[in-house]
Amino acid sequence: MAAGSLALTGVVLLYTTILFLHGNLGFPVGLLSDYYFQVLMLAGINIIVTIGLNLINGFAGQFSIGQAGFMAIGAYVTAMLATFVIPIGMFSLPTQIVAFIGIVLVAGCAAGLVGYLVGLPSLRLKGDYLAIATLAFGEVVRSVVRASDEISAAIAALGLTTLAAHIEGIGGPRGFGGFPQLADLVIGPVRIPTLFTLIFTSVVLSVVLVRNLVYSSYGRAWLSVRSNELAAEIMGVNSTRAKVLAFILSGFLAGVGGGYFAFVIRFLHPDSFSFLKSIEYLIFLYAGGAASLSGSIVAPGALTILPEFLRVAGFDQWRLVVYPILLISIMLWRPSGLMGDREFRFLENRRGVRDAS
Amino acid sequence: MLLELTGIQLSFGGLYALKDFSLSVGEGELVGLIGPNGAGKTTAFNVISGIYPPSTGSVRFRGEDLVGRSTFEIAARGVSRTFQNIRLFERLSVLENVQVASHWRRGYALWDAAFRSRHFDACERRLDEEAKALLATFGLYERRRARATSLPYGEQRRLEMARALASKPSLLLLDEPAAGMNPAEIVELMELIARIRAEYGLTILLIEHHMHVVMGVCQRIAVVDFGVKIAEGSPDEIRNDPRVIEAYLGQPVSGEH
Repeated sequence: MAAGSLALTGVVLLYTTILFLHGNLGFPVGLLSDYYFQVLMLAGINIIVTIGLNLINGFAGQFSIGQAGFMAIGAYVTAMLATFVIPIGMFSLPTQIVAFIGIVLVAGCAAGLVGYLVGLPSLRLKGDYLAIATLAFGEVVRSVVRASDEISAAIAALGLTTLAAHIEGIGGPRGFGGFPQLADLVIGPVRIPTLFTLIFTSVVLSVVLVRNLVYSSYGRAWLSVRSNELAAEIMGVNSTRAKVLAFILSGFLAGVGGGYFAFVIRFLHPDSFSFLKSIEYLIFLYAGGAASLSGSIVAPGALTILPEFLRVAGFDQWRLVVYPILLISIMLWRPSGLMGDREFRFLENRRGVRDAS
Repeated sequence: MLLELTGIQLSFGGLYALKDFSLSVGEGELVGLIGPNGAGKTTAFNVISGIYPPSTGSVRFRGEDLVGRSTFEIAARGVSRTFQNIRLFERLSVLENVQVASHWRRGYALWDAAFRSRHFDACERRLDEEAKALLATFGLYERRRARATSLPYGEQRRLEMARALASKPSLLLLDEPAAGMNPAEIVELMELIARIRAEYGLTILLIEHHMHVVMGVCQRIAVVDFGVKIAEGSPDEIRNDPRVIEAYLGQPVSGEH
């Protein structure tokens, strides 16, 4: 497992470098301002959400445009739980982190459950029709959040005053802010930023776990459904189950990403999760290459960081010119995405078990 | 009887694809299904494998009615097939194509795969070995890492058969396995079919246009024309059956000598 330990070393090195550049290790380097540190966290979130989308649109070969809806569920559930139900501001550090991880996982599961509920009926649809149904789902989530005051009033009328107060608290069209923040862990001169560390770890975990799935019988089943659904069914693959599984996992990852998003941005508004947000993830996915995990790391990473980098480099006004030119170039010269359906060596694990021959 | 089709009726917009079609296949038999183009042979396969539900009639496999069962359930009960127009999974390697067919009996759960448990390793190793053994049987072992669709035509046909066997069938439906092959390849293919039939204890239902192939290997032949079974019997009986000759060659014109 030399490749595995090499990849692990790389990951640890990357993490340490970022903390060093951000001035967390006791040296006032300051090359990475708080703003760019935040951009890196957003890049991490985008990687998690894009990997999720890749399961549906890439590996299972369906077409979903509802990713922002799942993210919104994760974001609002996380923020609501952390503000009202388990106010994490009350806890001291180790407990706070455990509580927050728990909340994010619950939010992920909530989004995964919704993925299941959305996936089951929608998967009778194919192609464009499925896309329209998932698009509608995303907009429904946004409308429900917008109408949270009315929903709260209705729940209050039923006598569930605490729940009604919590739902009113998410603010509907007014937006939802002011939720507690996570404290950083300070050891002498070293300052471990909690949120960044959690996001970074989650990116690594998502990549590893999804890679393990993709290079297993489950991944082969997804790709077979994508390639020829009829033949897959004849070979004993329950294609509906395979697709629903992709929806559940995708919802979970988007929910977790949404939970972190809430805490990075510190303010939620239903319009942050509009149709355009879903489109952004489609761009990340197809620019990277559908059915390539490496692409789902490279493209969201680069396309999140690069526009902000242009801002520093003095091309502020040109940002919105460069970004589309970049996308058009990818379409022209790499029509199946930067990575196509290939993988980096360290992610490739084609046979599941080591080949004896 | 392993497979028993009784009174199958299936129509597409007023046109009968199968009309009161019945067919029985006994355990271990090799039965040929022949007939002119568009006679309903592939439709019969589609009914057996659950792609088209018949409007009336029953498909009994080991005594259980398959009508209304999903395609993948029928596969898991031991019916597998190849396709007339090759349907391989083009993004997957040769080996992975075969392994897809063992997904339903993979033996591990999602968690095992995600966290790479020992159980996962053991199961995957078993599936891997089985698939490689199958590829060896079909002379495709050396090609296992190639993309399935990069194989030459004849090898793609053999890969389809290898894949069909990976779902551990007791009944194998072969839809024109020799289509597009030259005589030498056909001879090889027939030897291969005979070998896998003995090795895996298979019952085979075979659609084929090459008459000498069908006559040579099948114990029993059923002839379909316009969705109706017009004859059934041993190769010799079929060869001399006037209805069969008529279906293939047309009626003799009266007045001619």
